Amino acid sequence: MSGPWADAVSVLRRLALLALGALVWELVARSGMFSPIIVPSITRIGRELWWLAIQPESLVEAWYSVQRALSGFALAAVAGVALGVLMGRSALAAAVLGPLFSGTYPIPKIALFPIFIYLFGIGSLSKVVLIFLECLYPIVVTTQAGSRAVNRVLLWSAANMGASRARILWRVVVPAAAPFIFAGFRIALPIAMIVVIITEMISSADGLGYLVMYSLASFKTDRMLAVVVAIALLGVSLDWLVVRLRDRLVFWERLDSYYAD
Amino acid sequence: MGGPDMAPQTPQRSEAPRPSRGAPRQAREPGGPDMAPQTPQRSEAPRPSRGAPRSPYRLLALGVPLATLALWQVASRFDHPEFVLSPIEIARHFVEALRSGELLPHVGASLVRSLPGFVVGSLVGVVLGLLAGVARSMDQLLSPVVFLTYPVPKIVFLPIVMLWVGIGDLSKIVVIALACFYPCFINAYYGARGTPTIMVWSSLNMGARRSQIFRKVVVPSALPLVFAGLRVSLALSFILLFSTEMINARSGLGFLIRQSESSLRFDLMYVAIVAVAALGYASDRLLLLVRRRALAWQEVTSR
Repeated sequence: MSGPWADAVSVLRRLALLALGALVWELVARSGMFSPIIVPSITRIGRELWWLAIQPESLVEAWYSVQRALSGFALAAVAGVALGVLMGRSALAAAVLGPLFSGTYPIPKIALFPIFIYLFGIGSLSKVVLIFLECLYPIVVTTQAGSRAVNRVLLWSAANMGASRARILWRVVVPAAAPFIFAGFRIALPIAMIVVIITEMISSADGLGYLVMYSLASFKTDRMLAVVVAIALLGVSLDWLVVRLRDRLVFWERLDSYYAD
Repeated sequence: MGGPDMAPQTPQRSEAPRPSRGAPRQAREPGGPDMAPQTPQRSEAPRPSRGAPRSPYRLLALGVPLATLALWQVASRFDHPEFVLSPIEIARHFVEALRSGELLPHVGASLVRSLPGFVVGSLVGVVLGLLAGVARSMDQLLSPVVFLTYPVPKIVFLPIVMLWVGIGDLSKIVVIALACFYPCFINAYYGARGTPTIMVWSSLNMGARRSQIFRKVVVPSALPLVFAGLRVSLALSFILLFSTEMINARSGLGFLIRQSESSLRFDLMYVAIVAVAALGYASDRLLLLVRRRALAWQEVTSR
């Protein structure tokens, strides 16, 4: 059953739905059933994508979005891991902060965005703060679960060999919780992308989310879809980077992901 | 319990063979990573009740939010910008808005958008995810598309959906359904794939048919992960609801927040934010209640 032939068939089957969708789209677009504003053909979207890729202005817009998403995410990663480890290893911290987190977890933080605009201005800062807040929760929750699940024997051994508490946290708890922490990162990074695009769509004069709304308002659907594709590529490549980083750092455990090795 | 092998109970990782390899599914030991879905899942809010010592800490836990509110109330007596309201003022305005009927129509409009989107999206996601988890042909057909488009923020599809189905409620429902589909699909997929092989063997051995195995073995063992996915979807549906309403709507809580913000009616803005928070909180608790019912048989793992 195996061999190059079977591999080729399975690759074909994996791509079948994508190829079929693209084919149907192109046929519908070319049939003239709808105006090209409603369904622009893939070739036109591709041309717009190329235009976006060589245009310095659009690259700057993309850089704004990535910068906001990554700075909010990075802040959340640092604070989230610290809080999660603390809550996972200290009963006092868990008792004080736990209810705070579980109580505010189901509240959609996006509703606070107008207040943040008043507090931090309409520029990048309000967006970064919202991204930080939205990313913090999954990272804290997964890190706490991970640092609670550390094998007791490892902690005992480290303590027995004279490691200080801080050293145990840094050298035993954090590495042991690393798979969890990265699971949290992988949940948080798409959230960062969602929030940056949403906030840019709601109120912004730059960034990819703004570009989407601007192209729509000027009825350039092909350009809008090209931006959507660019955002998609950005999201996938950021996720790919996290998985690569994880496989580097957590080398003792491979991730079952869809990125071929 | 709890060594590195047991550690990642997240759906991203599974010991099941990758579909690309075309390898036969291997037998796995019970109690190994297969047992992972039985334990509390990702995105689970920390449970204060378990493991937390009783009286002194519990008082502290209640004290921190109360102290924050009290501090806020006291601070608001001093000079402060116009857009800051004290908790007591917000509560008063909330009751007022409820009485005057300024709030409830918007709550209704929001629910009409979010509920159908959540139900349709998560239902399709769970069903297709379970199918992809048990049938290799479905797996090869669906999984590449789903996993490659998963990191795409679904809100970007709002403009194009708006062009197709109009600017009304339907475009919002479609986008919400799309966003709710992904977490449900992925969790149901890993839940179904994580079914302990030994249980499938046992039921085969006892003469169960395929449909019986699916209903009585695969679905229950995937259920904890399915609920984890539903919970993520529920949170996402709220995010998308309010952002779609903020971008364009003439009713709904997101619209109310945006409108009262731009007309400087901060009282109404806070009322709407509190309503959003309450709605999010209540629906999450409701889902947890349903889960507790549905998973009554599940053993709570001690950590």
